[in-house]
Amino acid sequence: MDASYLDLLMAQQEEVAEAEGGGGGIWVVADLVDGGVAPVTLEAIGAARNLADSLGAYVYGVLLGDGVADLALALYQAGADGVRVADHPALASFAAETYLAVLADLFAAEQPEAVLFGATDMGQQLAARLAQRMGGGLIEHTVALSLDEATRALQASFPVYGGEYFEIAACPQARPQFLTVEPGAFAAPFIDPYRQGSPTMLDVTPLEPAVRRVGEADGFAPPPVPLNRARLIVAAGRQAGDFALVERLAAALGGQVAGDRGARDAGWIESGQVVDLRSATVAPDVYLAVGIRGDTFHNAAIEQARFILAIHPDPQAPIFEVADLGLEADPQQVLPLLLQALE
Amino acid sequence: MRVIVVLGHVLDPRGIAVNRRAGRVFINRREYILQPADRCALEAALRIKDEMPAEVVVLPRSPLPDDDVLRQALATGADRAVYLAGDGLAAADDAAMARLLAAAVERLGGADLILTGATTLDTGQGQLGLRLAEALGWPHVADAWALKTSDDRLEVVRQEGAGYAVLEAALPVMVTVAPGALEPRYPDGARLINIYRGQGEVAAALETWDAADLVDADALQPLLERRGQEFPPERERGVRASGGLEEMARSAADALRRQVRV
Amino acid sequence: MDFHFSSEHVALRRMIREFAENEVEPLAAEIDREGRVPFETLKKLGQIGLMGVCFPQEYGGMGAGEMGYCILMEELGRVCTSTATNVGAHIGIGAMSIYLDGTEEQKRKYLTPLARGEKVGAFVLTEADAGSDAAAIRTRAVREGDSWIIDGTKTFNTNGSFAEIVTVLAVTDPTLGARGGITAFIVESDMPGFQVGTHENKMGIRGSSTAELIFEEVRVPQENVLGKVGEGFVSFMKTLDMGRLTLGAACLGGAQAALEWSVRWARTRCQFGAELAHKQEVQWMIANMATEVEALRSLVYRVAWMVDTAQPFTQLAAMCKMYGSEVASRAIDTALQIHGGLGFTRDFPIERAFRDARIAEIFEGTNEVQRIVIASNIFREHGVRIRP
Repeated sequence: MDASYLDLLMAQQEEVAEAEGGGGGIWVVADLVDGGVAPVTLEAIGAARNLADSLGAYVYGVLLGDGVADLALALYQAGADGVRVADHPALASFAAETYLAVLADLFAAEQPEAVLFGATDMGQQLAARLAQRMGGGLIEHTVALSLDEATRALQASFPVYGGEYFEIAACPQARPQFLTVEPGAFAAPFIDPYRQGSPTMLDVTPLEPAVRRVGEADGFAPPPVPLNRARLIVAAGRQAGDFALVERLAAALGGQVAGDRGARDAGWIESGQVVDLRSATVAPDVYLAVGIRGDTFHNAAIEQARFILAIHPDPQAPIFEVADLGLEADPQQVLPLLLQALE
Repeated sequence: MRVIVVLGHVLDPRGIAVNRRAGRVFINRREYILQPADRCALEAALRIKDEMPAEVVVLPRSPLPDDDVLRQALATGADRAVYLAGDGLAAADDAAMARLLAAAVERLGGADLILTGATTLDTGQGQLGLRLAEALGWPHVADAWALKTSDDRLEVVRQEGAGYAVLEAALPVMVTVAPGALEPRYPDGARLINIYRGQGEVAAALETWDAADLVDADALQPLLERRGQEFPPERERGVRASGGLEEMARSAADALRRQVRV
Repeated sequence: MDFHFSSEHVALRRMIREFAENEVEPLAAEIDREGRVPFETLKKLGQIGLMGVCFPQEYGGMGAGEMGYCILMEELGRVCTSTATNVGAHIGIGAMSIYLDGTEEQKRKYLTPLARGEKVGAFVLTEADAGSDAAAIRTRAVREGDSWIIDGTKTFNTNGSFAEIVTVLAVTDPTLGARGGITAFIVESDMPGFQVGTHENKMGIRGSSTAELIFEEVRVPQENVLGKVGEGFVSFMKTLDMGRLTLGAACLGGAQAALEWSVRWARTRCQFGAELAHKQEVQWMIANMATEVEALRSLVYRVAWMVDTAQPFTQLAAMCKMYGSEVASRAIDTALQIHGGLGFTRDFPIERAFRDARIAEIFEGTNEVQRIVIASNIFREHGVRIRP
């Protein structure tokens, strides 16, 4: 690559400009995973970008961590107009006091219209405390956003009873408006490789944490959840093929293993794990029927499940009539691919 | 040791039916139950009381239609409950409740530990406990699965990725308890009867305070406005994934991600 | 008139239903299959006060009255008839007899541990030759100084094999018969001469114990005479009135469960291209069932209210028992018909409920005896004393 070509390439880079002197804007506080920016943060920037364009506002990203300045580029490329970075060893892992102090100072100076967090462990904690500290409203687990142009308020939908339906709410009076954004709810934004910018570094004054991590909780196990209260069930049937794959899928999804009578007869599960009108009826958020044909006794027992995914080689299997999504396939072939796709 | 438990009510989901086509929620039975996560918080408090001398005081997390859930908490073993009433309280949101509760905690003479549910069953919101911690200027631990207290310290187990970690904090501290963290106990029959009939010692444990004595009317102004409801599209059963094995696996993974939000 | 349950009763039902669904229902099939008494459940019921649900708190009870007791029996009957039977025999006749006729001292000594659930009670009357004709009992009690010596054999004793405090009826004066010749005694199971005989192998309520009790020169002190000497039969009739009401409540629970199963099945089961719910014959079955369940519910709770407000209720209690047992049997039979072959399998609770329901038409006074009680009350109002 010769120098002239590099110059040409550099000339295409778009230096992003931000508003002079701050004021307003939609701000997204970044979550990090495995040394990178979490997908939920990029999704939040995408959502913020759409709103900001309607509002005529700028989008800002905030990065907190240790050695994270390089990640600013990912925020610019996802659509941020400006990025603030708080880079300090005290921020290497989540420390509520210091994180809150940095953000409160920043937002007190910048007066955002709205601040978005991922609805993650960290985002949920920061958003609630910051909202109270700054007198803002907060809507958690937002899955859809719209704009009330009269008040410039963000109208957010959030699931009720785990998604049976959605409430729409807004905090039209107070600023900033705080929101946490449910991971996966918003589309990943277009990544523009030509966008770039120069992030502003923030001062960090570490505070002594009041809560200290002692170590791993060895031997702790949460109380067992009975099958009829399980939120996610992976159930095997006669056509499941390889039961080990079913168990792996349950582990990957954090669900409980169950099955129909066929799975019990095959010796894969105990009687207490049988899903059947004659044994246990269940009402999970998600029910995966792997190789279950699905007679009335079984299908009536999963009637209350909110989402049913069925995998069975026979297109005529009755389980497909009750399933929200059916895969006509041999579980033994499709499960490894599903496991891969989930990773 | 004084432990305050902040708890609330929720419509029993067994009594409601959501009709997506009509875009309506039908309430077949207007029966309220304790918020499940709050009930776990109460259980955590009562387990502390089982181990050491402690007073368990119950406060409402939201404006309540009546004092029923407070009576339930008293029947289950709480020592004292305060029902908050007053004009303008009915509209209070979590921000307003946090201010009101902070004033109530102060009026109670403070506490060593405040527990509440990490999330509500209906709206899935977890902000109240954290807002209250902020209003009081206390540290917090969110989503606790287990608690252990000594006179001045607290050990909390919380989820950390796929495993669990132990955290330690000096008292006072606010802890939100994960739903399902602890198997809650049943109320005691005789206490239940007495608290509903207003007889015996436990009857005196339920007080009513006027919100106006705790904060001024401005503090109760809500920030949150309800703007309506949305219903997911009607459930379409019998949909088949198309394409070859890999494509099917991808659509299944996408669907699962949407449902589980992995 | 007010047909609302008070907030106290709503809260109590919530507590009991949660207990029944979490602790009782999961064991129902197992205790039926193994024919074992769920002692762990009885212990837990005692810990939260339910083994003394209707007795005053000064005797270790919960103080929820007859309304509370009926709520308990309905909710237990809804999930497990065996457990309802164990609890009914303990509270409704065992402890109840001491509550109704005991002296202050007897209540302190015997009712209190029963109400707290620390001990289990039973009431034993039936003998091989005395069932419906209760006055024909042959167990004798003979006075000897400050004591009574009881001799005889009682059959079909619910809870008899493990009850620690047993109220027993014995003849104290054979010349007087039911009027003045029968006396009730409180016997402790560790008194010498008290023995447990054969256990019955029953068709239903197999999670309850029904055993023969043998009294072989059991020496009982004078202070254990329950009520007045010679008035045991009257005591027993009073106790049984209460038991009949609450048996009706347990039957209400059984019928309610049958209705719930039927509705669920009719919603999901497809035949000839439509769910059973769309078949008129099934609609009629369910409409009839629901109507009978509601009629029974009104009767049961009205009588409970009459007991709590100290009104006479003998005739209505007999109706509760008679009508309740028949409504339950009918509802479960209909539910079985709606479920078809599924209902006939042992894996589904209808088969158990079907076997369990039958006894309710027999014990605590057969339905024929109930009809005699009801008819004799009706005719008495018109000046006719019916002849036995």
